[in-house]
Amino acid sequence: MKTLDEIRPKIKALEVMPTIPTIIHPLAAMMQMPADRVDLAKVIELVSYDSTIAAQCLRMANSPLFGRRNTDNIRSALVALGLKRVQAILLGCCLSRIVPPDKWALDAISFWRHSLACALVSSKMAHLIAYPDPEKAYLAGLLHDLGILVNSTVFTEDFRGCVEAAHNRHVPLHIVEQEFMGFTHCESGKILAEQWHFSADIVQVVELHHFEESLPVSQPLVSLVHITDLLCRLRDLGYGYYETMGIDLVGEAAWDTLVRHYPALANMDLARLTLDIDGAMDEIVGIVDAVFAHPYQAA
Amino acid sequence: MDTATAKATQRETEDLRDPAYLKIRDLIYQISGIYQSEEKLYLLAARCARRMTAVKAKTPAEYLEHLTVRGNREAELRLLLNEITIGETYMFRSTPQLDAMRTVILPQILQAKSAMGFKRLRLWSAGCSTGEEPYTLAMFLLEQSETLLAGCTFEILATDINENSLTAAKAGVYGEYALRSTTDLLRRKYFKTHDEKRLQVTDQLKSLIRFDRVNLSDDSKMIFLKGMDLIFCCNVLIYFDLTSKRKVMQHFFSNLLPGGYLFLGHAESLYQVDDRFRLVHFPGVIGYWKPPVGYTGGGKV
Repeated sequence: MKTLDEIRPKIKALEVMPTIPTIIHPLAAMMQMPADRVDLAKVIELVSYDSTIAAQCLRMANSPLFGRRNTDNIRSALVALGLKRVQAILLGCCLSRIVPPDKWALDAISFWRHSLACALVSSKMAHLIAYPDPEKAYLAGLLHDLGILVNSTVFTEDFRGCVEAAHNRHVPLHIVEQEFMGFTHCESGKILAEQWHFSADIVQVVELHHFEESLPVSQPLVSLVHITDLLCRLRDLGYGYYETMGIDLVGEAAWDTLVRHYPALANMDLARLTLDIDGAMDEIVGIVDAVFAHPYQAA
Repeated sequence: MDTATAKATQRETEDLRDPAYLKIRDLIYQISGIYQSEEKLYLLAARCARRMTAVKAKTPAEYLEHLTVRGNREAELRLLLNEITIGETYMFRSTPQLDAMRTVILPQILQAKSAMGFKRLRLWSAGCSTGEEPYTLAMFLLEQSETLLAGCTFEILATDINENSLTAAKAGVYGEYALRSTTDLLRRKYFKTHDEKRLQVTDQLKSLIRFDRVNLSDDSKMIFLKGMDLIFCCNVLIYFDLTSKRKVMQHFFSNLLPGGYLFLGHAESLYQVDDRFRLVHFPGVIGYWKPPVGYTGGGKV
């Protein structure tokens, strides 16, 4: 069992790992700026530092999930998809390299399918319920499990034990992490998210997506990701193992929070959204195989 | 890819962008409750293609007219629905459904029942067609009889409106298509050879199922089918109009015991048909739950 004060320095040390792409710090800093203050030429320059990341970024930008734009360079991707979405795609590509291939405890492909699915479903749900910032919802969905990257890289052996136990018991990962390690990916992810100066609402999602009831004041973004995380895990886009679950999503406290803020949710066709997630599965699998699987295949 | 294949693929892709397919998709969803996501429109297009050939419609837009404004539109819609649901009937078709029953639903129902001293389960396959579903349920329950269902008894009611389907269901003779997901172990335990290409269910399996002819719109029969723990009604309500659907759902709600579940076909939805059931997600499958008295939400069922 470790305390948060004990794990913090170890996560700090993650900064100097060779697998951290050099562009991640300027990118994270740029993402905090209002869109109208970002120099697009700088974004293009950042992407072109790394040809693999540029290619991954374009592969994603051209997916039917983002509207099949047929862009062949970052500049046109920026025009077609918007700055925020390209930044989020870019960040995802950077994060896909953090965990060295031999340190993954979860199946890496399943993890990235889950993260990408959460990003897409969060953004889609945001549109459906008139949440004002669907791009923020996309980013929150993509990053919510940042702590799993931390736990895999920094606490590899302990985390492997947790994954194995969760797999055998068919229970959610954070429950076993709490039992075996004394902290969860939510807490370790929060430490890294703060280190990288992600915005306060994204840090909150990383920290509380499994514990949204502990928020003193309701935060719709946390509730939204709590719901989409569950939805994706329930549609074969989870962590690659069977979780025994039967969930009345409409009865969840997070659903109530969202309905209070966004009444359109009360009339949303949840069965249809669920089938849309199934429909997007093939393309999510395709993107992850083509983009995120790259470092592991190379290894 | 050769040039001809590339051209054909391009034609198909362009064809799929025809907005008429989205309109057909929405029409089917509105009328039947069966939903096809945009990414799976190619499946719908393939099903439409067969009907388009039959009615000699040259474009999806022309076929849409057959479904909306032509005199035979209701019959055509039924034929298209038949195409869409064809091939969905085989044994052990929905593993996620059986997993949900094993891991969550049956333990939950049995716990509630044993607290009241009851140990009998009642399942109903409503619209059992040629029997694949009730026999699957019977095999599944028998396989659990020494573990999860130790000390319990169960009965399965299987009904259909079609006499021919019921006769075939009672005979219990199946070929490779119906058995394609049935393991060798289960084939050996619950089937005997019928002829060179077909197997027949054993009398033991048959004895667990009561077959009956029931029209789901027949109130006089429906009101007597009480005390169900689970109802399975796959791709049956899609042929009903909204008023009839609502009436059947009212019956199903009272046929079920509190805490019981209704399962529909995998792409069927009850959206705006009935709001008393709670939609419950299990891994890979959705069920409709009649919550116990006093349930006020809380997420996990």
